[in-house]
Parts: sequence; C-alpha cells; structure tokens
Amino acid sequence: MSEQPLTLPARPPVQPKPLPELAPTQHRRWLKWLVAAQVLFVLGVAAAGYATGALGQSIWLRTAPVDPRDLLYGDYVRLNYSISQLPGHLWHGTQLPRRQQAAYVLLEPRNGSYEAVGVYSEKPETQPNQAVLRGSVQDVWRRGLRLRYGLERYYVPEDMGREIQKRQSLRVQVSIAPWGQARIVKVETAP
Amino acid sequence: MSRKFLETDGPGWVQKGIITEEQREQLLALYPTDATAIGLLPLLGSFLVGLSALSLVAANWQGLPELLRLALLLGSLCGAYAAGEYFRRRGNTNLGMGLIALGLVLFGASIVLTSQLYQLIGYDLTGLLAWAVAGMGLTWLYRSNLLFIMTVVIGGIVQGYNTGQLGAFSYLTAAFTALGLGYYWWRRPNSLAGGVLAAGLLWQAALLINHLHIKITWFFVPAMLIYAFGDWQPDRPAGRAMQGPPLVAAFLFTLGLALFGESDMYTGQLRPPLLAYLGAMGGVLAISLLGKRQRGRLTSATDWLLLLPGFYFTGGLALAVATLVVLYAYSGSVLFRAHQEQNPDRVTLGTVLFIVTTAVAYFKLTWGFMDKSLFFLLGGILLLGLSWYLRRRANHTFADKTPAKS
Repeated sequence: MSEQPLTLPARPPVQPKPLPELAPTQHRRWLKWLVAAQVLFVLGVAAAGYATGALGQSIWLRTAPVDPRDLLYGDYVRLNYSISQLPGHLWHGTQLPRRQQAAYVLLEPRNGSYEAVGVYSEKPETQPNQAVLRGSVQDVWRRGLRLRYGLERYYVPEDMGREIQKRQSLRVQVSIAPWGQARIVKVETAP
Repeated sequence: MSRKFLETDGPGWVQKGIITEEQREQLLALYPTDATAIGLLPLLGSFLVGLSALSLVAANWQGLPELLRLALLLGSLCGAYAAGEYFRRRGNTNLGMGLIALGLVLFGASIVLTSQLYQLIGYDLTGLLAWAVAGMGLTWLYRSNLLFIMTVVIGGIVQGYNTGQLGAFSYLTAAFTALGLGYYWWRRPNSLAGGVLAAGLLWQAALLINHLHIKITWFFVPAMLIYAFGDWQPDRPAGRAMQGPPLVAAFLFTLGLALFGESDMYTGQLRPPLLAYLGAMGGVLAISLLGKRQRGRLTSATDWLLLLPGFYFTGGLALAVATLVVLYAYSGSVLFRAHQEQNPDRVTLGTVLFIVTTAVAYFKLTWGFMDKSLFFLLGGILLLGLSWYLRRRANHTFADKTPAKS
C-alpha cells in the first residue's frame, strides 16, 4: 500500500511510540477507582432523586385526560399537562421562541393546581407562592408553543394501572428541587 | 496466518518439497494452540441460569424494595467487572473482555433504571455522559478495541438522546469523544476502530448541524477535519479507514447534487455565507495538504475534488453537468491511483464509483428525451461495456505485476 510521493522524497514517517500496556499493579489500582466511581455515580443519582423528593418544593399539576389503553402498550403513560401547550402571549423574551430552546415557566396556584403565568428564556424571580419549572420548547406556531418538561413519562406502579379504567384527567404531584431538577412524586386520578 | 491453515496445507507443502518436515514443525511451533477455551456446555448452562435469574428479577422489578433494586444493579455491575478481570487474568481474554463490556452495559442500565426508579427521566445530561466517560476510562485501561468501539457507540447514543429528547447538544460529549478516543487511536492506530470512530463523529456532527439549524453544507467542515486527521496518521491503512466515512458522505452529497442540483430550489438551501464557508474549508484543506505532504501522500489530494463548492453556482443544468464532470474526475483519479499502486481492492472501489457515476450521468442526461425501452437498453449496454473494459484494464495491470502467474 505504498503511494508515490508527488514532489518530495517521503520523510521517514514519525510513528508515535505505540501505547504500552499498563503495568499490572497500576492496572489493578485504576480499575478499582473506575469501578468505585461507577458505583458512586449510580448511588449519587439515587441520592439526587431521593433529595429532590425530600427537599423540593411540591406543586400539583393537571393533565389532559389519559387513555387507559396507553397502559397496554408499556409500563408507562404519556402525560400531557395543562401547561404543556401555552398561548404565545405568555412568552417574555427579547427574541421570539425557537424550537429546542430552554424555557422557564412561572407557575401560580389556581383552584387546586398550578397554572402558567409566564414563560421566560432566563430564570425569572419568584414570589413566595410561585414556582419555576424548566422545560424546552418543542414547537412554535403563531398563537402558542408546546413545551416539554421531562415529566411526560410516568412509570406506573401496578396498582395504579388498575385504577385508571376510563378516560380521565390526572393530578400529578411534582417536586422541584432548589437546583432546578424536578420529578414526579405521586399521581392521582382527578376528582 | 492461522495454525489451522498450516495444519491442513502443511503436509502438502512438504510433499511438494517446498518445506521440509522439520521446517513444518518449526512453523507450527510459532503458532501455539490457544489457551484452553471454556467448554461450551458449562458456558451455555451458566448462560441459562443467568437468564432465568434475569427474568425472575425483571418480572418482580416493580415489587422489589428500592434498596434491594439498587443493590441488585450495583451487585451485578461489580460482579461483571470482577468476573471479567478474573477470566482475563487466567488467560481467557475473550471471555474476560466480554464480561468487562457487559459491566459497561450494566453501568448504563443502572443509570437508566435508577433514574426510572425516582421518575427522573428529565433533562439530566450528566447521567448519560458519565456512561461515555466510564467507557473511555475502560478503553484506556484495557487498551481494547471492543471497548473503544462501544465507547464510540455510547457517545453516539448519548448525543442522539440529548438532541432528540432534551433539545440540547452536548459539546462536552462531542469534544470528549473526539479528543479522548482520537488521541487513543492516534497512539494505537487500527483500521476498524478508525472507521467506527469516524462514523461516530460524523453522526455527532450531523446532529450538531441539525440542532443549530444551519445549512447542511457546514457538515463538511467537521467531516473534512476528521479526514485531515487521517492524513496525519503515520499508519496508512488506519488513516485510510478514518478517511472512508467522510469521503463516502462527500461522494453521496456530490451525487445528490448531480441528480437534483439543477433545481435552484434545492441548491438555494445549500449555500452558507461564501467567505465564512470558503475560509473554514480552506483552513481544513491546508491542514489536510500539510499532513499529506508530511507523510508523502500528496497524490491523494484528488479526494478534495469532491469538496468543490459547486452549489454556489446558479447554473441549472450546467451545474449538474459540471458536478458530473467532477464526479468523473474523482472516480477516474481513484482508478488511476489504484492502478498505479496496483491495489486490487481500490481498483474494485474505483470501478464501482466510475460505474455509479456513469449510471447517474446517463439517467440525468437522457431520461427526459429518450424512449424508455431504448433508454434501458442503451444504458445496460453502456454499463456492461464499461465494466468489461475496466475489468480488462484491471486484469492487465495485475498481470503486469506478476508476469510469472499469467
């Protein structure tokens, strides 16, 4: 596989020294660190999940009716919140919203659940009774936008699956940690 | 050469007097039999036991207490690594590396399942990035091509998830994959790993272009940067493997331009700001040419023909024809170089490229104004004739090379 040089005589290629294998003691030490780091990371994810539930601000969100047949297809339901689609006039930003842009939704309690009062491109200041949920813009049209919060998938515990028999709305309790992470804590059928 | 080959053909060579019986034995001694592999039956047995345990856990996953679930995940993770290390040390490298790879897969599964446990399927970029980091660490630790390829794939999955589900491009993941694996490949060049790495990086580049909503032609700036990296690699086969995917992308793009380029509606979508694009491309070209010169491979500069930015011209049919000329020049240059190097694989490649180009040109230039049956008849004759001629030419070249044989 040698090619003829066009002009210059080929300089002898400077082959970098091939990477040697690690010495066994070094190898063992590094492997221990690497496996320990992986275990710690998984524990960290668990701890963050637990802490988000324990330390976070708890709010209730309302969903559009959920089709119980969804449950036949898998172990989770797709949740469509009342705040998943918002009218465009709620947008407060210097520029028009773009798809896949981050968006911060300011929420306020309205008869039993939290509803959006504004959508911002930067994290807004809050009053004591307000909450901010981070999402991303999925779709923009003339009169509104669709947002995604990462809370759209709920892995349904088995007993809950039996409870959803007919098409109905759900009330979802979400916990928002001070560092912005959010997770579903509880899901009930709406009265 | 494998031992099996020696064992079957060796006696024949002795009979023909090519080697003596002693030499045959000496040769055989050079290829010792592999360390005794694990028997197949115990392996299958343990596989079945493992499968039953897995299905038992999976069926009752929801019912298990959270802590037990976590312990099961982490236990199997550590178990896979420990078993892998054990077998590797006993000389059973393949099984050992397989188990280490399983450990890496289990790490990813642990992250996903733990997030699911706490309904944390949110916008957690770090979770999956950690998976890629672990893959990279193991690759460097074991110097293993298997883990290298897995890390490329994991990087691609992480990036796909980021852009698709979370609506963000993780520059960290991209830089991490490119630098960490790129440097590893630089120090331990390998053809397969090079091709896979290039394909993985192209995938991430495509996701970035799509994410940024910029003209798709920008894709070729990172793509050709990968190509230029291959130019600098002293190990030629590995460098070529790295250059394969970018070249395939550029060829397909040029082919598309030849087919659809005459409609300005399409080409209008392809024009980035002229100076910025040409400046960036020129920079990459300089890096590539420097690398080629350094390694004495300037003849391969013809690859850059495919990157001629023809889409800036609003020529209509003339643009399509000009693109066809470029395609012919490129595939012709591949053929020419292949004959010069007397490399049969590349002759085949050049032949295929040449024939594809001819097919496109024929389709493009005659479909509109020729009776359909005549179109297919003449097209078939043209391609058959061309392939016959190119094949003859190739045979001729290789006959020159080994006159004793023909």
